[in-house]
Formats: sequence, structure tokens, C-alpha cells
Amino acid sequence: MIEVTDLETCFSTGFIRRRVVRAVDGVSFRIEEGETLGLVGESGCGKTTLGRSILRLVEPDRGRIVVDGTDVTALSRSELRCFRPRMQMIFQDAYTSLNPRMRVRESVAEPLKIHRMGSRTDIDRRVRELIEEVGLNEEHLNRRPYELSGGQNQRVVLARVLALKPRFLVADEPTSALDVSVQAQILNLIRDLGHDYRMTCLYISHDLGVTRAMSSRVAVMLEGRIVEIGRTADVLDRPSHPYTRRLVDASLTGPCASLERLPLPAAPTTVEVRSGHWVEETV
Amino acid sequence: MTAMSDALLEVRGLKVGFPTPEGLVRASDTVDLEIYPRETLGLIGETGSGKTVLGMAILRLLQPNTIIEGEIRYRGRDLLSLPEAEMQRVRGREIGIVLQNSGTSLNPVYTVGTQIAEAVILHQGLSGPDARQRAVELLDAVGIPDPVRMAGEYPHRFSGGMRERALIATALACRPNLLIADEPTKGLDAVTKRGIVDLFSEIDRDHSVLFITHDIETAGDLATRVAVMYAGEIVEIGGAEEVLGDPAHPYTRGLLASLPERGMQPIPGSAPSLITLPSGCRFSPRCGCAVENCSREHPGLVEVGSGHYARCMLYD
Amino acid sequence: MHKKIVLAASLGIVFAYCAVALLAPVIAPYDPHAITGAPLSPPDRDHLLGTNDLAQDIFSGLIWGTRATLLLGFVGAAIAVTVGTAAGIVSGYYGGLIDEAVMRLLDVAMTIPIFPLLLILTTFFRPGIYLIAVLMGLLGSFQGVRLIRSQVLSLAVADFVVGTRALGAGDGYIMARHILPGVLPLAGVKFVTSAQHFMLIGIGLGFLGITDPSVVDWGQMINRASQNGAMILGLWWWLIPPGLAVTLISLALAWLGYACEDEINPRLRVMRV
Repeated sequence: MIEVTDLETCFSTGFIRRRVVRAVDGVSFRIEEGETLGLVGESGCGKTTLGRSILRLVEPDRGRIVVDGTDVTALSRSELRCFRPRMQMIFQDAYTSLNPRMRVRESVAEPLKIHRMGSRTDIDRRVRELIEEVGLNEEHLNRRPYELSGGQNQRVVLARVLALKPRFLVADEPTSALDVSVQAQILNLIRDLGHDYRMTCLYISHDLGVTRAMSSRVAVMLEGRIVEIGRTADVLDRPSHPYTRRLVDASLTGPCASLERLPLPAAPTTVEVRSGHWVEETV
Repeated sequence: MTAMSDALLEVRGLKVGFPTPEGLVRASDTVDLEIYPRETLGLIGETGSGKTVLGMAILRLLQPNTIIEGEIRYRGRDLLSLPEAEMQRVRGREIGIVLQNSGTSLNPVYTVGTQIAEAVILHQGLSGPDARQRAVELLDAVGIPDPVRMAGEYPHRFSGGMRERALIATALACRPNLLIADEPTKGLDAVTKRGIVDLFSEIDRDHSVLFITHDIETAGDLATRVAVMYAGEIVEIGGAEEVLGDPAHPYTRGLLASLPERGMQPIPGSAPSLITLPSGCRFSPRCGCAVENCSREHPGLVEVGSGHYARCMLYD
Repeated sequence: MHKKIVLAASLGIVFAYCAVALLAPVIAPYDPHAITGAPLSPPDRDHLLGTNDLAQDIFSGLIWGTRATLLLGFVGAAIAVTVGTAAGIVSGYYGGLIDEAVMRLLDVAMTIPIFPLLLILTTFFRPGIYLIAVLMGLLGSFQGVRLIRSQVLSLAVADFVVGTRALGAGDGYIMARHILPGVLPLAGVKFVTSAQHFMLIGIGLGFLGITDPSVVDWGQMINRASQNGAMILGLWWWLIPPGLAVTLISLALAWLGYACEDEINPRLRVMRV
């Protein structure tokens, strides 16, 4: 179970005239055990930063993150390192997620070696198990990332992440660089493995079709804030926030009216429009 | 398919091969297609299907050691046999292209306005200030807000969607008859993508467009006709509604079924290497409908409906 | 093909020099300091390259001098590249204040010209060859830091590094296992080019007379020859051989550096695709 409360992450840019950008601006939500929460929004809305902040790959400036009953924000650096196996992340580009110089075997074995999980033969056996679990075979173990396709590399990334049996997975658009037929393979794999490993998941995507297929609840992010959150069907079929409506309209197939820029709400308050479906008020 | 004389562009039996140390990569194999005036032909294909190569081959932008056979007729002239000097007049002025990777297709050291004006000066002989004025008009036409100011900005100040728009403006600068767009919506989020799609549906009132994409839904939104490529071949071609509404080829059906909205049923296996292609039908090793004959005979395009062709044994 | 020939030739020359340096006691017929006959005698069967004004065998001097020159170049380059790479990795990986501090320090250090500073430092200490090599290495290490750091900056934000951090790996592990292999080819090229650079500086110091008096080196030999008017007197065997020896190794290292650069650049590009 994941609980994020009032999370804020800022970046400062510029050397002389420092400008602070609030990439994540007071975000709170909960993900129940075994549930997948979809996180949608345009590029630059802060969804990637939010994902990384929850795992403290980017240090948040404020807020509390509780993963499986442990307050991640309160952990010291060394405590955090021991806790990391429980929460993992997969990235958009599978090629850059793997060290180009390492063979698949080394990449998959690496997490086990870092945490000294078993003897050499144990690790070797576990690597072979993992590689088959993600739908590859032993022949792939001696390849390097550039000798594999995008879909195969994403499978390797999954094997590497699953080696630690994480409880929580942040998936940051893992299929947006893949072809549809391969995307379907990987999405099915993530869904099945998520189920087998009983993982709680935050699934980040800008594709509403994918989000609908992957998540039971969805959160909509705009300029660092979550403006709408609720059951996937509620939010995407009956969007209440104008921004969500705009997202949904843009994803509809067939000719549609051109879209206008929305004015941003000044002082947001959140209201519950139906059970478990919260919207940031705009008027 | 019968050759029709009113086509703007006719591709006949196009074969493109890249010699590599591992063998000949057959990126395009006996491709036939035509593009009519004021139509958008959507060319759908996955990574490595040869769709980008086809677009580049039309403008002869491939590496010199590429082996190209067949005919590419633009208004009756065979582009493949034109001298290079004449080909340069065709590029940009007659046929414009929006290349993939909007991130690197603009030169970072010149302002966007300068780069668009360059195309105008090159082909239409306009003077500097006139070309500049035209660049601003073009940026305005592709929906860039505050075009006068943005023409003076450098590419890094443009977002992904804006850069794509600027590239489209460059390609449209000399009012070409045909616009080839290679994955113009790749990597854009839904809202930005919708904007680009809307822009294209405005463009295709005056231009023919070859819209190359891996995104079936976008192709369905824009195209009047659709061609589906697999392993260097066109496996299905026809009206967009027929091909995407009632697909004949098992590959097209598989592609549609793998969409998350349509059940997310993946096609088993992966696309073949273009060096060692399977015998018979190239899709047969992954095809659920394959019969024994499929791996032996290579099927031709068969008419399955009016103007709708599929390369499959099922219809022989 | 052409590139391969250049690479093979330059590698061959460098290896030949190393062999000569290692086997100097075997190859050289005389002790280079010993008086072996008549002074200023032209080349003959006993003295392949004749003798100098002190009646020392020039050929033996040339062979023993290889040692000094290679030692200066390679030890200096090894120190420079090790220190420079370590500083570049730490600075680029941690970023923030550490990076800022290293960069400002570099800004200052880069304004100091190495050669004059070496002149001053070596006159302060009693110039031993190892001391010169270490000083050269430390002063030269500043040059590689920026190059390595810029490569590290892009590696440090690569998904595989962030991913490995998410696995729970420590900073030391990531720097050693994921960052260092990424910059090694670059460090290799830097090693070769620095070695060439330092050899030339070493020769220059020798020529100015700042050397280890117990070691023979080519700079010193050239200095002695020109001081004694070898050029005017037409004593070519005294002046030309050390000059040629310097030119050849310097060329070979330069070629090797270019060839290595050629080799790593396209490969890095392929990996990114």
C-alpha cells in the first residue's frame, strides 16, 4: 500500500538568476495493495518527476511517502539503499535502461549481486528462471542491448527489476517507444507479472487507451498537481475537470473540434463528485 | 492494380536493398502504390517494415550505395532516372518532406525563421525580407502563436509539437504538390498529437500527403486510403474505412486487435529480419490462419473489394 | 584499411621503443657515461654513432635515453589520466557543490602554464626523474578533467544509472561499474595524447638542462650537441639521431591517439542508436 501526502519537488534552473520550477506541487494520493493507479498528463506536466520522487531518485522538498508501512521520506541514505529492492522503476526507453556494455546475463544478475542474494550458482539459476519468466530464453543471456529489439530489451529490464521481488513498481511509459503489436505483448506481460508478484503499481502514460487497459484507478496531472482522480471508468468516461475532458477529446478517434487552451484555476479546492472520484474545482 | 494516369505519383515494382556485411537488407520489395491529387495516403508499418525507406526513396535521399530498382513516376516523369540537378528542383518545390526526429531536423544555430526563409530563397528566388515575411506567414499557417516573435527564436525554444509544426512549415514553404510526412506524431502526447493531426487535415485540402506512421488510429483519422507494410511489402491497401473497418489481411487484423482499446491481443513472435525473410508468405510464421501452402507460395495482391487489395492466400 | 595500417604502424613503433627501453642494458654496447675511446670520433664499427666530446658512446646514450623519455611520458600520463579521470567522475557524478568547487579550482589551475611552473618547481627540488614525472602528471591532470566530466554528466542521468540506483546500489559501485567503463575509451585516448605531450615537455626540460644528472636523456644529448656546435662542425651523428628518435615516437603516439579517437567515436554512436 502506497500513501503519498502533500509531495512537493522543485528544480532550480539558471546560475545567476535562479528560477524555481515546482515540478510536483502538493500531490496526495493512495494506492491500495495490488492495485494499479494510472497517471496521465501531457509531457512536462511533472508525472515523471512525481514517479521518481516517490522512489526518492529525485529528492522531494516536502511531503511524506509511505510504502508498505515504511515512511520512505524519513529513511537515511543507507536505510534507503536497503529498502530500495521493495520499490522499483521501469523506464520509457529500454535501450538506455540497460548498460550498453553489459550482457543480458550481467544486467539481470546485477541486482542479486548488489544485495548478495545467494551464491554464484544460486544467482545463475535465478537469472535463468527470470529470463524465461519474461518470455526470453537462455540464448538471449549472452547478448548485449544493441543486439536485441526494443521489446526484448524491455523484457530484460523487467527481469532485472523482478529479481528483487519488488512490492511497488513505477512504470514510466514503458511501451511508448514500442510498436503496437509489441506493446500489447509487453503490456500483457507487465499485467500478468504484476499479478503473479502481487505488485502495487503506478503506471505513468500519456496514452489513455493504455491507461484504461492497465489501471483500475486513474489520476490526471496538470502542471504539477493532480486535478482529477478516481476509478478509470468514472474519470475517462465522465470527466469532470475541463482539462481531463480535453485529454479525453484529444484521444478520441475521428475528426473533432479544435482544442483551446484552458485558463488555469487560481485557488484550487478539491471536491468529491461521486464516491472515490475527486476533482479540483475550477470555478 | 491497373495503372491510372491521373495519379500524381505512381510507384511501380520498387525494390530497395542495402548491402551490408551480413547480407542484402531488402527494405522494400516490389512495392506498387499511387497517390492521387488531394488525397492522404496513410502508410502504416511497424519498426523495420520499410516505410521510412519508401518515403526517402521517392525523393532519392538514400545513401549512394543503395540498390534501387523499379519506377517512381511523378506526373509521368520517372524520378529514378532524372539527373541530380533536376531532382533538386523536385525536392522541396514539387515534393516536400517532413523527416522523422523533429529534435534534430532543425539546425540549432539558426533561428527558425531563417531556416524556413532559406527554403523560400533557394526555390522561389524571393528576396531576404520577402522570404522572411513568407516564413512568418507559414508559421502562422501551421498554428504557431505569435509567429513574428517565434520566427526570431532558435529551435531549442520550441517544444516538441511546435518543432514539428515548424518542420511542416518548412516543407510547405514552396507549396509542393505532394507532402511526405514521416512519423510526424511520434513521441508527442495525445493533446499535441491531436493538434498536428488537425493541422494535417487542413493541409490535405490543397496537397497530396503520404502520411507514414506506426500509429493506426492517427492514420485512420487522416487518411482517405491506407497501405499496410510488413517486412518490406505492402500486404494490404485500400480505402481507409475498408482496410481499418473490415481488414482482410491477418496482419492488419492482428495490428488492430493489439490496440489496448480493442482487447490488446498481441501478434505472437516478432517481425522477420529483412536479410533472411521467411519463404512463402512473409507473415505466415506468425499467422493464426496459416495453412500448409502459406509457407511455400508467395501470395500476390488480390482484390478483395472495390479498390481494396490484400496479399493473402485466403483470397486466392 | 588505410586506418588499420596507420594503427598497426604506430603500435609497432611504440612497442619497439618499449622493447628498446626495457632491453637497454642488453642492447647498448657501453655504459652511456663511460669514456670509451677518442672524443668526437665519427661512426665506425666500435661506435655505431660515434662519440661525443667526452668520448661517451652516442648509440648507448640513445638507447638508454629511450628509458628516460618513455618513463617521463608514460608515468606522467598515467598519473595525469588517473587523477583527471577520478576528479572528472566524482565532479560529474555528484554535481552540485562538489562539481562547482572542482570547476572553479580548474578555472584557476588552467591559467597556470605548466612548462614555466615545472621549471621553477624542479629548480626548487633536486630534479630526479620520478619527481619530474609526478610533477608533470599532477600539473597535467587538470586538462583531462573537463573532457571526462562532460561525458560523465550525460552518463549520470542515463536511465541505466538511475535504474541501478533504484536497485539499491551505492555511489561507489555505480561509479566503478557503470560510469568508469563508459569513460575508459576516452581516458585511453587522453593517456596516449598526454604521453606524447609529456615526452616532448621532458625533452624540452632536458634541453634546458633541468634533468636528473644520473640519467641520460635525449633532451640533454641534443643540448650538449648544439652547445658544442655539432651543427656547425657537421657532426651529424651527434645531433640527428636523438632528434629523429624524438620525432618518430612523437609521431607514432599522435597517430595512435587519432586512430583510437576514430575507433571510439563511431562505436559510441552505434551504441546510442
